[in-house]
Amino acid sequence: MIGKIMRTMSWLLLLPAVTGVFGCSGGSTPAGPITVHFWQFWEADVVGPILTRFEAENPGIKVQMKQLTWQNGREEILAAVAANTAPDLCELGSTWFGRFAADGALADISAETDSLRARLRQWEAAMHNGRVYGVPWVLGTRAVFYNKRLFREAGLNPDLSPPDTWPRLMEAASKIHKPDAGTYGFGRNSGERYVLFKKFMPLAWSNGGDVLSADGLQSVFNSTENLEALKFWLSLKSVSLTERQDQIDQAFKQERIGIIQSGAWLFKTLPTDAPKLEYGVCRMPRPDGNNRVNRSFGGGEILVIFKNSPRREAALKLAAFLARGDNALALCRVAKSVQPAAVGMENDDYYQANPGERTFVEQLTTAVFPPNDPSWQEMENAVENWVEKAMFEKVTAEKALEEADQEIVALLHARIP
Amino acid sequence: MHTPGRHGPSTLVFLLPWLLTFGIFALYPLADSFWVSFTRYNPIQGPPVFIGLDNYARLLRDPIFWTSLRNTLIFVVGTIPLTTVGALLVALALNRHLPMKALFRAAWFMPTIVSMVVISLVFKNFYSPFGFLNAILSLLGLPGHAWLQDPDTALGAIMLMDVWAAVGYYAVIFLAGLQAIPAELYEAAALDGGSGWRKHWHITLPLLRSTMLFILVINTIRSFQVFIEIFVMTRGGPLDSTLTTVYYLYDRAFNSFELGYASALAWALFAVTLGASLVYVRVLKDRGAA
Repeated sequence: MIGKIMRTMSWLLLLPAVTGVFGCSGGSTPAGPITVHFWQFWEADVVGPILTRFEAENPGIKVQMKQLTWQNGREEILAAVAANTAPDLCELGSTWFGRFAADGALADISAETDSLRARLRQWEAAMHNGRVYGVPWVLGTRAVFYNKRLFREAGLNPDLSPPDTWPRLMEAASKIHKPDAGTYGFGRNSGERYVLFKKFMPLAWSNGGDVLSADGLQSVFNSTENLEALKFWLSLKSVSLTERQDQIDQAFKQERIGIIQSGAWLFKTLPTDAPKLEYGVCRMPRPDGNNRVNRSFGGGEILVIFKNSPRREAALKLAAFLARGDNALALCRVAKSVQPAAVGMENDDYYQANPGERTFVEQLTTAVFPPNDPSWQEMENAVENWVEKAMFEKVTAEKALEEADQEIVALLHARIP
Repeated sequence: MHTPGRHGPSTLVFLLPWLLTFGIFALYPLADSFWVSFTRYNPIQGPPVFIGLDNYARLLRDPIFWTSLRNTLIFVVGTIPLTTVGALLVALALNRHLPMKALFRAAWFMPTIVSMVVISLVFKNFYSPFGFLNAILSLLGLPGHAWLQDPDTALGAIMLMDVWAAVGYYAVIFLAGLQAIPAELYEAAALDGGSGWRKHWHITLPLLRSTMLFILVINTIRSFQVFIEIFVMTRGGPLDSTLTTVYYLYDRAFNSFELGYASALAWALFAVTLGASLVYVRVLKDRGAA
């Protein structure tokens, strides 16, 4: 069935070539301007003006942009690679990047990106085996949103004690939690893939735990630090609404939840959906003392050039232009859900004027970006599955860590030929 | 070889558009995916590599495949009787002289013309903790429930939605079958003093057998392929309790890029579906002969 989709796609792509309808868009026209094919996920009216500026600054280059959807963008990219019709420049989520880089689909641009190195952050997210395969464009993280009114009604001062430590989070959530009245202390994620990880691991990271060792060769998941974090996460059950992210976000807008972990996408909808909501934003909670740091999950959008692109130089030029601070900010101001990878943006007037969004830029400095391991998604699945099993009390916290650890070890071993 | 005279070359010309699209968009991809199921194929890494029966051997040892198949079977076995009986009852009701019959027919048929994605989104909110269902329950003084968040209720909730969405479509097919039954048979039965239920049992049901077979087979095939509901509402969670085989093979193909294994999963599901369809044909045919 999948082969079916793939081949169907390649047939579809072949037909215009046969009939000559799009004969000129193939790009083998050395005389005229070069056309760079660029696939990305943002709204066309957000990215369009930036591309127009690029074309004005670079008269020899035209950009043919295609907007992908988050629902099936990856399928389209995969089909295009299989059919050898991949674009020149493409936006890839950092969680996908590892697979594409490890599988050898991307161009090594280590040398050409030297000059960009100091201007952008999170190159780790664009690297594989010490080589650079992409340009960090925009980054995203998670932080804590809290309802100030509910804090005050529970007798707490939201400005003096934001819920950015474990004890403060627990205290505030306990005082706010009144499920009979339809008010919940905290929003705990479950019931969907690729989300729980981003909410649970910040607790573990803030407690000094991790999934893999620093060299990426060993599992360190079954640790005391992670066990403490998991036990804390499980203990939040009695003061939480356990739901999917969209439901948690919605409940927060309806002022039914005191504290949630969410993404900067809320800045886009909060003003319209909940104009009266008085909320604060703080970093992800850390345990008290021991110089613990408020760590969060970090992800990003990486601009990659496919290996077979004949327009590598022009594509690289476009990538550098898009990632430039002012251009990335132009996107982020509208999209809200991400922040520029360009360094020093927290000092920009825009973030000075918007403290909530500034918290996200600051949180990014201590965010943990998952390693670009080709099996990373499977490892993330292992962590999510076992943490969720512990949440539904199918296994103990100890057992969950042990089992997830074994799965991760097996994934690491499977790699050694 | 040439076309037999009585059909002539023009027949082929008229059939060509269909034959071509069928060949290109159905036959060729099917054959291709069958071949891919014997390979290790990650398009990013390169062309498929033949590995014989490895994918099928892996499938037999893969506990998640068995979980997905179990969920799929629960879905099929749970929804089909409800949908079929429900559709038959609706059809019988709509076949009578009801006031506002057109309105009822349209109302029951409505879910069929709405995209499954839309239905799933609506029901996702219907089942949500602050959704309509819990609101009704709380009006009745009953406790609410996180229907899609509980591994024990998530699949059942999706199944009920599916029954609701499918009943109208199959009711229309039953209705067509009902209207093809000659009225004389009922008149004759009435003369012989047959009661309402006995008429249904001895006339309606036997004469609806072929309609029933059609509905069962079509609905079984459709139900084995359940995907959109899962994709929109739960993504297989919580705890894989709603992970169906098609969702699992989608996950293997597009999250793990294991197109060979995903194709093997698809063919395994095809074998199961074919088996179930053959059982129906067998059972309902035997009844017909008796």
